[in-house]
Amino acid sequence: MTDRPVEIHEQRILGTELLWALGVGVLVAATLSVIVFTALTRDINPPSNVERIDPKTLHLSGEFAEHNLGTTVGPDGRVTARIIATQFMFVPRCIAVPSGRAVTLRFASPDVIHGLLITGTNVNTMVVPGFVAQVHTEFTRNEDLLMPCHEYCGLGHSEMWATVQVMPDDRFKPGPDGRVSCAQR
Amino acid sequence: MTAADQSPDAHRPLEIADQIDEAALAEVMRVTPLGAGVLAGTAVALLVLGYLAIYLLVFLPRGPVG
Repeated sequence: MTDRPVEIHEQRILGTELLWALGVGVLVAATLSVIVFTALTRDINPPSNVERIDPKTLHLSGEFAEHNLGTTVGPDGRVTARIIATQFMFVPRCIAVPSGRAVTLRFASPDVIHGLLITGTNVNTMVVPGFVAQVHTEFTRNEDLLMPCHEYCGLGHSEMWATVQVMPDDRFKPGPDGRVSCAQR
Repeated sequence: MTAADQSPDAHRPLEIADQIDEAALAEVMRVTPLGAGVLAGTAVALLVLGYLAIYLLVFLPRGPVG
């Protein structure tokens, strides 16, 4: 038997492999396109704020001093919640947010690395001492959501969690100082 | 010991290559990429379907984040 049929078969295999490579290339391009499309149209991106803060003094003055913690509504209507993640609690333990409005969550840690997620949402970030972790999101359902620490931070790690209380917009009424607290239930 | 082990071929030295029929080899080479393509294509299609299901039914409904 001559080599010619073998060469033809090898060419067929090469053709199949090139076709497969083309298919994989199309899939990779489609996946990347979905990520870019989602980022541009749905505003879904990995949180990527880089902002330094001194962990030794953050509780003494400035943005993360005790009287500034919790949810505030600025003069422009922007809702911002500031939370300290520390061993082994979030301060405050309950965060009030409105549904259907843009919310900015800002976290800082004075001690060790923490992490958090809010159940049922895409909010998920690390809280590293020395940096402010910032997440923009919008809550859609009116309910109490669990926010546990998901980075092992010490012996009390399993007790470190907070509640995010999502309120209807008509019940989300800031006080004279622009602050909003969780409703007592 | 199985019946297969008792066959004459079981005691053949491994160094002796099998007698390959060129026509049979050519036939196998002709159909093998098709089967591999179907198997790999099915596996990748299931993977893509799983990705799309989680993306559309879980990820997007959880709302924007950034």
